[in-house]
Amino acid sequence: MKYSYTHHMPYTGIDRSGQDWPVPNKQFDPQVGVDLFNRYIDDKVYAEQTGFDWIGCNEHHMSPYGLMPNPNLVGAVVANRTKKAGILQSGNIVPIVNPIRVAEEYAMLDVMSGGRLVAGFMRGIPHEYVAYNVSPDESYARMEEAMALIKKAWSEPEPFGWEGEFYQYRAVSIWPKPVQQPFPEMVMSATSERSTRLAAKHRAVAGILALTDMDDGRANIARFKQFSREEGWEPTNDHIMVGLNCCIAPTYEEAKKILEEGQEYFFGVLGGGIRTAQNLVVQKTRFYGTSEEADKLKTKFVNMRSGMKTRSFDERVEMGLMICGTPEMAVEQITRLHKELGNNRLGLSIKIGNISDEHVTRTQDYLRDIVFPATRHLGESDDPAQAAE
Amino acid sequence: MFNEKTSKVAKGSLKYLTGGSGRPLIHLHGAGGVRPNPGLEALGKNVTLYMPVLPGFDGTSTIDGVDSMETLADLVADFIDKEIGEAADIIGLSFGGWLGAWVAVRHPDKVGQLCLENPAGFRPDSVPAPSSDPETRKQEMYAYPDRVPAETKSEEMLAQNRAMLAHYHGDTSFDADLAGQLGKIECLTMIMHGTRDGRVPEEAVQLLKRDIPRSHLIYVYDAAHSLETDQPARFAHLVSDFMERAEAFLVNQGAAGVRPQQVL
Amino acid sequence: MRFSYTHHMPYTGVTDAGQDWPVPNKQFDAEKGVEMFDRYIEDKIYAEQAGFDWIGSNEHHFSPYGMMPNPNLVGAVVANRTRRAGILQSGNIVPISNPIRIAEEYAMLDVMSGGRLIAGFMRGIPHEYVAYNVSPDESYGRMYEAIELIKKAWSSPEPFGWEGEFYQFRAVSIWPRPVQKPYPRILMSASSDASARLAAEVGASAGFLRIADFDSARNQIKVYRDRAKECGWSPTADDVMIGMNCCIAPTYEEAKEILQNGQKYFFGVLGGGIRTAQQLVVQKTRYFKDAGAAEKFAKKTAVQREVSFDERVERGLIVCGTPEMAIDQIRRIHGELGNGRMNLSVKIGNIADHHVTRTLDYLRDVVFPAVRPLGEDNDPAQAAE
Repeated sequence: MKYSYTHHMPYTGIDRSGQDWPVPNKQFDPQVGVDLFNRYIDDKVYAEQTGFDWIGCNEHHMSPYGLMPNPNLVGAVVANRTKKAGILQSGNIVPIVNPIRVAEEYAMLDVMSGGRLVAGFMRGIPHEYVAYNVSPDESYARMEEAMALIKKAWSEPEPFGWEGEFYQYRAVSIWPKPVQQPFPEMVMSATSERSTRLAAKHRAVAGILALTDMDDGRANIARFKQFSREEGWEPTNDHIMVGLNCCIAPTYEEAKKILEEGQEYFFGVLGGGIRTAQNLVVQKTRFYGTSEEADKLKTKFVNMRSGMKTRSFDERVEMGLMICGTPEMAVEQITRLHKELGNNRLGLSIKIGNISDEHVTRTQDYLRDIVFPATRHLGESDDPAQAAE
Repeated sequence: MFNEKTSKVAKGSLKYLTGGSGRPLIHLHGAGGVRPNPGLEALGKNVTLYMPVLPGFDGTSTIDGVDSMETLADLVADFIDKEIGEAADIIGLSFGGWLGAWVAVRHPDKVGQLCLENPAGFRPDSVPAPSSDPETRKQEMYAYPDRVPAETKSEEMLAQNRAMLAHYHGDTSFDADLAGQLGKIECLTMIMHGTRDGRVPEEAVQLLKRDIPRSHLIYVYDAAHSLETDQPARFAHLVSDFMERAEAFLVNQGAAGVRPQQVL
Repeated sequence: MRFSYTHHMPYTGVTDAGQDWPVPNKQFDAEKGVEMFDRYIEDKIYAEQAGFDWIGSNEHHFSPYGMMPNPNLVGAVVANRTRRAGILQSGNIVPISNPIRIAEEYAMLDVMSGGRLIAGFMRGIPHEYVAYNVSPDESYGRMYEAIELIKKAWSSPEPFGWEGEFYQFRAVSIWPRPVQKPYPRILMSASSDASARLAAEVGASAGFLRIADFDSARNQIKVYRDRAKECGWSPTADDVMIGMNCCIAPTYEEAKEILQNGQKYFFGVLGGGIRTAQQLVVQKTRYFKDAGAAEKFAKKTAVQREVSFDERVERGLIVCGTPEMAIDQIRRIHGELGNGRMNLSVKIGNIADHHVTRTLDYLRDVVFPAVRPLGEDNDPAQAAE
């Protein structure tokens, strides 16, 4: 089992964010921001010492939800201050930025880390499109063209031009080039059909984040494997990464309290403006594939919060949708998850909402001391055919 | 847009289609023979196209002594002499690209600028040959089969056209002789490759980019081997820009350079 | 006198970059690249200990000339690993990027450094436009609009939209915001009349690089100051930064040899492809605003080759020699131009990294202590009028 540390660096200095889009930034107190930022970076660097295999940064705009409009700046610091951990950029939101710049920055990160970049390609959630004034309708088409272009920029032996639908260049030859050849390791989301197809096509690690339902998770993984076979390759369980919230404490009650409050803040305070933008986009565009998919996902997202009310916290832990409790319980939960889904990668989000940074560190220490040693062996003797079909 | 004419060159006569307005551009066809299409018509707004029917294609007869790529290239040079009178720009598709490269090697003084569109003849031995399965072949040829104009040529003519390839270059798919002489090509050259072209491998165009001294490689997104029909607007825009501005086609013109509409 | 350390992180494993545009990257050896990158970052951090006030990173594309297509990634590392030095991003090439993203990244850097960012807005040299397929003709138009938009994004109390000629956004409110109020200090190049005026209009500090001689530098500074006055503000000596190559060694001969070889590599090997792209653009577009500027630019590059090295040192255009000579040279420049800041480029071409470090140590131990007091009692009006 290999672990990935996700920390999206939220600004937690506000107690109510309202429903506006974008979230007005007059609420940003620079002194608070400076302290948070530095602490968060130290926490990410610390993750290597606590045994995480990958350290992740992600991109978000115009919201206290995440303070990294370009996560590559933080990735650069993490790369420079660590020695072994994979630098997971999960990642640049490809359709809203210049793909050549993504290729260049990722190459810089791969060089700065001596070849440890794990290149995530995200389609992003609707509010990011509003932020950069890009049409959400074009998200998949842009993603597909951009990925082809980025891979060319990384690996083409000669300078080349590109005449495309969304992107045109006459002469490209990036300096530096990535260390990993022909491409850095890649990660992509695999929760919708079209994005799964893209992940399969590019032989990426499939990210199943924000698992809300074990059956859904299983179905997504099966679909990814099937699409991959159609593309001519066989994914291993190392290509499956599930993402979950994680909180570990001396007792279940304490862990539950901490995580519940964090989630309350996450949805209630950090999420308000984002949902507003989401609704706008879903109503006015075809961001989510077919109208069926759109309705399904709209309902899903809107109900994720209320779902958290209809299903109790305890129930969701029971269902294996969170890692929460004592270290021993965490070991059980991770083991069970791996049995259900066959994922050899697990992304743990510990800083949820405004969980105190001391508690984040404490969870990391428990992971290092008890949980990781007890679960590393999971998946080690994998027969690829064995995993959940 | 195109009229049929005949050219009397030293070795025989050549039928050709011509039309458009602007600087002359010789278009050398591929295995299917001369095929007007919306991409060429869009291009014809900026150049005057000369599309010779190579001997033996489209129901014409072969010419004695013109039975290799080299001698065919010499014939094209004669045609340029006769019909243009000075150096001309050349664009070649697939087999025509292979031929265009020979013209540039053997008659550098006859060629202004060169454009190689998904050129055949440079498949390294290490790269497996394309499929013969008809379904796969279709995908390798066309990203958008519905954009291909209705077929007007008979099955016999198409078969005869295909047979002419062997007449000129035999069995080979890697012209080692030509590959060794690419360094002699003096003219500014643009190599175009459709990102979905399954007939010409990437290695071929990368080799050309590497070995032709003044060359630029441009990938045309979402086009297969039949680049002109798959992406007519992109094709016309790129070729016009290249022919008009030479090296400076690298520099964006901003509002001055208007992109043609995708749907013609 | 305050000092800035700019290191543009060249890839020096190339023996012949050729004249092609872009420079084919098959010459990039990853192992070498990793080592160099690492070393260069350490050198930048060392600059703080060597007494530099600012540490600079700049943006270049598609060439071994510089390995930072986005210098903000390096700026982030420098910010995180230093405590006092200004983080000079000199800087993002504004017309070829998304201005909101520049505003956001610079805000991140200001937060990451606790308010130490110096935000450079660069117009960039022609080949960067070819790289990103942006029309060089639009460079000034884009600069003007983007800088206004960036300042708004930094300082607007409310979310806002922007309907412009080149940029359109419906709702902007960046998170994080910068620390510095109302926004970070800005630095711009002022090496031509048009750019000097723009710098003055923006309220930016001005950088003068590759000056041809003191007279033309004085003229340039005057254009900057005059325009600033028209716009209602007075630059101090601290707003005037002169940039020069710098090499210090135990003897003049050694310093000269090291720097001359470095410059040869810089122009000959690193510069080839860039000049090709430059020519393309100059021929076919109106990149250089004033009619005279194109010629001036060509002249500038030419002049550097025709005038001998010794003469250029004589004329005060390079800081080169023993530490004592460097002190004299810096004093003289200050005497001539009244600048409160100097940018020293020490890694020129493929100068050995240990020679770079040695120059830094000389600066720290001998030169800086002697020249820091320069201009400390500056009357803003005193500087070259």
